[in-house]
Parts: sequence; structure tokens; C-alpha cells
Amino acid sequence: MKNTKINTLIISAAFGSMMATSLHAEQLDVEKDLLKFGFIKLTDCAPLVIAKEKGFFQDEGLQVEVVAQPNWKTLLDNVISGDLDGAHMLSGQPIAATIGFGTKAHIVTSYTMDLNGNAITVSNDIWSQMQENDPALDSPTPPHPITAEALVPVVEEILEEGQKLQMGMVFPTSTHNYELRYWLASAGINPGMYTKSDTGGRTGAQVELSVTPPPMMPATLESGNIQGYCVGEPWNQQAVAKGIGVPVTTNYDVWKNNPEKVFGVSKKWADENPKTNIAVTKALIMAGKWLDETDADGKLVNREEAARILAKSNYVGADYDVIKNSMTGFFLFQKTDKREMRDFNVFFKHHCTYPWYSDGVWFLTQMRRWGQISDAKTKDWYMETAKKVYKPEVYLAAAKLLLEEEKITEADVPWETDGFKPATTDFIDGIEYDGKEPVKYLNSHKIGNKDPE
Amino acid sequence: MVLNFVTMKKIKYSLLKTIDITGLTFLDPVVRLCYGEEPQVQLKKIGQWIIVPLIAVFVALFVIYDGFIVDTFKTKSGKLPTSSKIYSSYQAIDQLHDDELAKEKAYNLSGEEREVELKAVEEKISSVAKALELAGQAVASQQEVTKASIASKVAPIQAEYEALKESIKVAATARAEELELFSQSMTPGDESAAEKLLELVRADDAQDTLDREKRNLIKEKISVTLGEKSLDLEEIKAEETYFSERLAFLKTYKTLLSTENKSLIIDEKKGRISAYEQELTTLTGADALKKAKSIVKQESVISKKEESEYAGSKTIWYQVKRSVLCVFTGFFLGSFLAIPIGIFCGLNKTFMAMMTPFIAIFKPVSPIVWLPIILILVMGAFPNPDKHPFMEFLGELPLIGVYKINPAFIASAITVALCSLWATMANTALGVASIDKDHMNVARVLKLGFFARLFKIIIPSSLPLIFAGLRISLGVGWMVLIAAELLSSSEGIGKFVFDEFNNGGSDSLAKMVVVVFIVGIIGLILDRIMVIFQRLVSFEGAPATI
Repeated sequence: MKNTKINTLIISAAFGSMMATSLHAEQLDVEKDLLKFGFIKLTDCAPLVIAKEKGFFQDEGLQVEVVAQPNWKTLLDNVISGDLDGAHMLSGQPIAATIGFGTKAHIVTSYTMDLNGNAITVSNDIWSQMQENDPALDSPTPPHPITAEALVPVVEEILEEGQKLQMGMVFPTSTHNYELRYWLASAGINPGMYTKSDTGGRTGAQVELSVTPPPMMPATLESGNIQGYCVGEPWNQQAVAKGIGVPVTTNYDVWKNNPEKVFGVSKKWADENPKTNIAVTKALIMAGKWLDETDADGKLVNREEAARILAKSNYVGADYDVIKNSMTGFFLFQKTDKREMRDFNVFFKHHCTYPWYSDGVWFLTQMRRWGQISDAKTKDWYMETAKKVYKPEVYLAAAKLLLEEEKITEADVPWETDGFKPATTDFIDGIEYDGKEPVKYLNSHKIGNKDPE
Repeated sequence: MVLNFVTMKKIKYSLLKTIDITGLTFLDPVVRLCYGEEPQVQLKKIGQWIIVPLIAVFVALFVIYDGFIVDTFKTKSGKLPTSSKIYSSYQAIDQLHDDELAKEKAYNLSGEEREVELKAVEEKISSVAKALELAGQAVASQQEVTKASIASKVAPIQAEYEALKESIKVAATARAEELELFSQSMTPGDESAAEKLLELVRADDAQDTLDREKRNLIKEKISVTLGEKSLDLEEIKAEETYFSERLAFLKTYKTLLSTENKSLIIDEKKGRISAYEQELTTLTGADALKKAKSIVKQESVISKKEESEYAGSKTIWYQVKRSVLCVFTGFFLGSFLAIPIGIFCGLNKTFMAMMTPFIAIFKPVSPIVWLPIILILVMGAFPNPDKHPFMEFLGELPLIGVYKINPAFIASAITVALCSLWATMANTALGVASIDKDHMNVARVLKLGFFARLFKIIIPSSLPLIFAGLRISLGVGWMVLIAAELLSSSEGIGKFVFDEFNNGGSDSLAKMVVVVFIVGIIGLILDRIMVIFQRLVSFEGAPATI
């Protein structure tokens, strides 16, 4: 029984499909087989943890240690210094590092870890004020999506008192920052602009955003330093479980199927270890596929096991019940309001693990929109920068090997794509995004920088 | 058989001396009692120094804490952990450690041992799986019960809420209409009417606020009721979690013994190579070349695999050992600086004056300030730590190599050094400055050179105070280290605490409390070690403090 498993493991094509014709192909001759990857305690680190715990790294001949990091800054520093070989990163992080916003270092990615998975939570007090402003929200199961319209009077009232509503996000270049800004701005609330001298992004702000590490969010909300936050799971469900806040909207409503985390490595590491990079990508693709496996009814079959694994204290460590909610396709908005959201975390569907250039371009447009990129840029610059960071060639090399090993099917990978997803209007304000027209997209927003086309 | 009386006496005195030097004076009456020395006095001492403290611990832990504090104080994630829960958390942490060791062993196991172990684990898996299934069913049925009971509790409150909401709405509309009517009936220029209107509007506003508070009160009640945790359910769930964790571990253990086992993979590959080698003899030209190349590639894979280690996660005892290593590194580093500077300060008033501003300014700086600065400096010194010769050297050292010394470790150690060296420095200076003048005069008469004076007189006579300083430094260093590790995320106890804080799980608090005891006990041991040294270098046997 064990031998058959070994055989299937070892039926793998050699690098460059040298042995494509042979039934018995071999593992890649990796440059480095003892690796250390970093992650932040969020459920979307799942592909890394699953690849380790379910033996997908082992299948590629890799021994991997995964180590929790205290915050995104330390994680990035450790990847740059070489203490970590790679890490679970915010999509904006490799891009920002590469263009030199914050710490400068060339970081590349060849694997997108997941879609969606964040939510915006406000404190109980703000929630009851929003309910007063919009009586429709005053129900155990209010209609969704909830826009920031009901928040506008609250913001104005606090401004009149000479203060500003404080909200938390996890990192200046995080998806959460852009999503929270998007959600606020879509209702006409100015979340503040970054300028050369204002690296906190508060110029002209009606609501001030500040950085808090994800695991600290519930505690910071509880202590009253912030009145709301945008963060990944399980920290929104944690707020519901502890009864300290109410998630008002998920990022699935802000932008349907938006890219969330990537697996980032330094360019230097990728150049020194090309085969290891491919082997790691292979293992991660298999982990993503395992996470998104469904039965005939479309029920996610492996997620409960994944939640059990993530609940271990050396991984995410939150209670199993809290992790299970969102991981098995449900989201608890209030204790009375449990909704089915099958796509709350997407790890493999919709070709999501492919490193799309259009995702990179979207993050670049947001960095420009809020002034993190201080000068106007041309359309070509957006394309070139995205291509510097996103490396689909590595992904395709890994996918090709997996296809030869018959571990994935032809339909699992977008082989022929030019790297741009089709234009979409799946945003909360319905504005169209076409990755090939970044400047036009930038100019279609009311709040934020605008550039000459 | 019967021990000589003199030997008995000898043993007694050496025991008493050991007790005295280590400062474990509470054992003294026990030894004396065993020798029948003034039993009544000894019993009284035992009562005072052993029984009373034990009772105090018992009362504090089981009566005051378990019986009183746990029931009255609540956190957002539930009740405080009882002492038995803290103990079971300790067991869970320890279990995790044993599991990691077992996994590592399984990965390296080969031959018959592996097969025996594999059989054993398969049996265990089936029994645990059965237990898990039972626990799962119990949870499901209990969940139904809890859900029903909560629903029945919430329903009346919800109804009350709806009724209140309705009545408030009706009252509010009535008031609004009244205001409307009154405002229409007003004639311009009527001051009293205007005042009346203002009053009415104010009253209306106050009533609104009152109503809102009433509503929020009931809402809060609903939310609390919904969040009520059933103790039975929690217990069964904990059981289910326990079994599922055991099962997951056993399954991993099994794969490490079978499909992922090092020796098996290597054997498999070796078999493949020998098959290839046979094929090679039958081939020619491009095919032969291809085969030969793939054989060589496989050989390199095998040699790497043979050297490979199991990459496990770091568990508590590893972290404890690494923290202790780190604190000693910092402590020696600090002492290495502090003792010479202290000696010179004691010898020379001008040098002391020179050093004063540095000591005065740097001494009060908190480790939280030092650490980020040091971290940046250390990162700058080792831009590529993986390949730095110094780091590689450290990684290959026996005993220390396994602790993977990295910049975060070095930065934590330097922070410990910077914060702990002051006590040693001050005490050394004091020790040197207060040397008996007669000793120095004798040295002058004998015309001893500087180094002879230093090593024969100055250091020996100031040793007791130097060691008193070192003892304080080590204590300070241990406290500083935990904070430094927490910030630098250097693998150690500090990181364990911060990871648990970040986990925010229902057992995290209990695990952090476990760490309090681990840190306390290790701190105590370190202190006792220093006390022993201090007593050994003191001529007249300076008293050891508690």
C-alpha cells in the first residue's frame, strides 16, 4: 500500500521535462532542501501549513519549517535578510518593496495564495449608531451588502466634536488598507492621502487609519483605541465570538474575488534556487487544490480537517470553532446572523493561484490613488512593474510538471493567458476595472489622485 | 552495616554545609531532625519554613484563586482558567514537545524497529478514531440541547425587545405629532410659547436618549444570552479536540514511519538507481547519456536526503533552553565589559568621573528602547546571515549549533548585556574602592607590580561584591530577555508568550500562566547558582539572602 503511494510520488518529471517519456521520473534536484518559511497567524496561511502537514513539501523532497512572525514588517525584513527562505505575504508587499515604498528590496512571487477572506468590523457602539441612521440595519439579519453610507453621519458627528473616527488596518500596503479605503471612499468618506511628508496617510482624512498587527485587532478594538478595523480571518469572527464588534461587510462585497495573499521570496533567493522555487510552487499548488476540493454538491470536503490543523497553537492557534466558521464557507456577521459564503476563502478555484499581472496592476493603481506612489506614472510603467514582481513562468513550469504527473488537470491552469483577467465591474460601487487601462481606472474614482492619460 | 559514628557526623556536617552554601536553609531542620538533634526545635522550624509556606500556596491557589477569583473575574474569552486547567495546559504544551520528538525519531527510524512501530501506531489510530467518532456524536447531540435552551431563553427577551421597540416608536410618533401641532399653533412674537416649544423639544430629545438606552440594554442582554457558554458542551468539545489532535498526530506519525520515512525513500531511490544502471548497460548514444545524467542527478538527491533532518516546529523546552543560552550569552558579554570597567573605576577617581555621564545616561534606558536599535545594527553587521562565516561557525559548534543562532538571538543577547551590566559594574567599583588600605600598603611595601597587585589583592578581595553584582545582573538579564525575545521574535520563551497572546484561543491564557511558573522557576534556579558562587568566594561566609 505504501509502495504504491511512493511510486505515484516519484512518478514526477525531471526539471525541463527531460524524462517526460519515462513512467518513472524523479524529484527535482533541489538546491536547498531544508527551508524555513514565515507566516502571520491568519487562516489564509493555510496553503503553507497544509503543504507541510499533508506532506506536499515532502513529496517534492523538501523539509520545511514554518515559523509564525509577529508582524508584516518583521516578516518582510526576515525574508530580505535571508533568515526566512520565503513567506506568506500581503499582495501589496512584494510590489511596494520592489518599487521602494517602505523597505526597498526586490521581491518576486509566483503563487497567489488565496482570494477574499477579509472583513470590516466596527465596534458595537458604532454599529448601533449605524443602525439608528439606517433602520434597515436594525434587524437580526440586515440586507447585504452594507455600504459605508450609514457611517457618514457618525463620521460627521465625531468630526464636529473635533475628533476623527479611528480605524485599524494591518499594513500600509496591505489589501486591507486599500479595501477599507475603497469602502469608505465609495460612500464619499475621505480616508486621507499619503504624501511625501505624510507617510501615515492622514492628509485630509475624515477617518484616520492606523496600523495594528492582525492578531492584536480585537484587543485594540476592545481597548477603545480604534472603533473599527479591516482584517483577515479569524480576527473578525473572534470579535463576534467575544461580543466586542460586528463585521459589517466582507471584502467579497467590496470586490468580488479579489486577490489577497501571495507567496513571496526575494529575487536573490529565486535566482540562486530556481529548482527549489519550482518545487515549492508545485507543493503549494497541490495544497491549494487540496483545500478547494469539493464533493458532488459543491461542499468543501477538506476544510474541517484544515481548520483542525490551523487551530493548533503553533499555527493560527485560535479556537477551532472560530476558524471553522469562515474556513468551511460560513460567516458569522452577528451571533444571530450566520450566512453561507462558499467563496469567502478561495484557495484554488477561478485559477486563483496563478500570479496575474492584472492583480499587480490593481495594487499599483491603489498605491497611486492614495499617494503612496507620489508621481504620475504611465500605463507602460504599471505593466513593467507588475512583470518585475509576478513570475507566471515559474508557476507554469511547476504546473506543467504536475500535469505530467497527472496530479492536476488541463483545466486547472490558464495555460494560454496573457496574464490579465477580463475587465470586471464586481466592485461595491460598480466601477469597471480593466488591468490594461490602469490610468483610466485611476481617473474613474471620485476621491484620490488622478493622472493625465 | 552500622555506620561509624564519626562518618555519620561527617555526612551530617557536609550536608548542612551544602544546605548553607546553596541557601536552601529550609532543609536544615529536616537534616537535623533526622539526626535527632533537638526534635522539638526542629519540628517548630519545619512547621515555620516548610508547612506554613505550603499552606500559603495551597490557600492562595485552591481557595482564594480557584474558589473566589475565577468565579468573579471574567475575560472576553470566558472565565479565568482554574488551577487544574492550568495544569492540563502544561500537559498539553509538554505533549506537543513529546510529539515533535517522536516525529523526528519516526522520520529517522529504519529497519525492523520501523515496522514494529508502524503496526503499533496503526492499532492506536483505529482506537483513537473510534473515540473521536463517539466524541463527535456527543458534541452534536449536546449542541442541539444547548441551542434549544439558548433559543428558549432568547425568545422572550427578543419578544420584549420587539414590543419595546414598537411602543417606543408609537410614543415617538405621538410626541412628534404633538410638537408639530404645537409649533403650528404658535403665533410669531409669543416669547413664552417659543420657550415652551424649546422645552418640549428638549424633553423629546431626552426621551429619545432614554429610549435608546433602554433598547441597548435589552440588546446587550440578548447578546449576552446568545454568547452564554454551556459548561457541558465546552467539556465535550475539549474532549473532541483532544482526540482529533491525537488522531492528526498519529496520522502524521504514521506517514513519517511509512511514505515519508527517510530510510524508505532512500532505499526506494537506491533501487531505482540500480535499475537504471542495469538499463544503462543496454543503451547507447543519446539514450545512454540521458540515463547516465539522470542517475547522477538521483545520486545527488540521495546524498542530500541522507543529510536531511526532520524540520519540526519549535516547542517549549527547546525554547526554554534557547532562552537560557541567550541569557548567559548576554550575561557573559555584559560581565566581560562591566568587570574591567568597574575595576578601573574603583582604582581611579578620574576614570570614574570620565565614565559617570555614560553610566548615568545609559543605565536607565529600557530594553524596549535598546532592542530595535540593536536589531538594526546587528542586521547591518550580518547582511547575509545564512552565509556569514561567523554564523556558519556558530551553526557548526557542538551543543550550540542546534539552537540556530541568528541576528535576532544576537540582538537579544546584546540587549540583555546592555541592561544587566550596570549592577556588576557598580558593585565591582564599590568592591575595588573599599579594599582595606592595609592590603594596599602591604602591596606597596612588597613593591608588587600592577598585575600582581590586580590578581593577588584587588580582585580576590573584591570578589564577594563582584559576585553580588553578577547575581543581580543575571536576575535583571533574565527579566530583560523575555521582553527582548517578545519584540525580536527570537525563538524562546518570550516568543512563546507572544504567540499565545496572538493566538487568542480559549486555552491561551492558561498557557501564558504556565509560562509565568516556568520563567519563575528558572529565574530561581539561576539565582541559586549565583548564590552558590557568591558564597564560595566569600571568606567569612556572607549570609545568603532568600
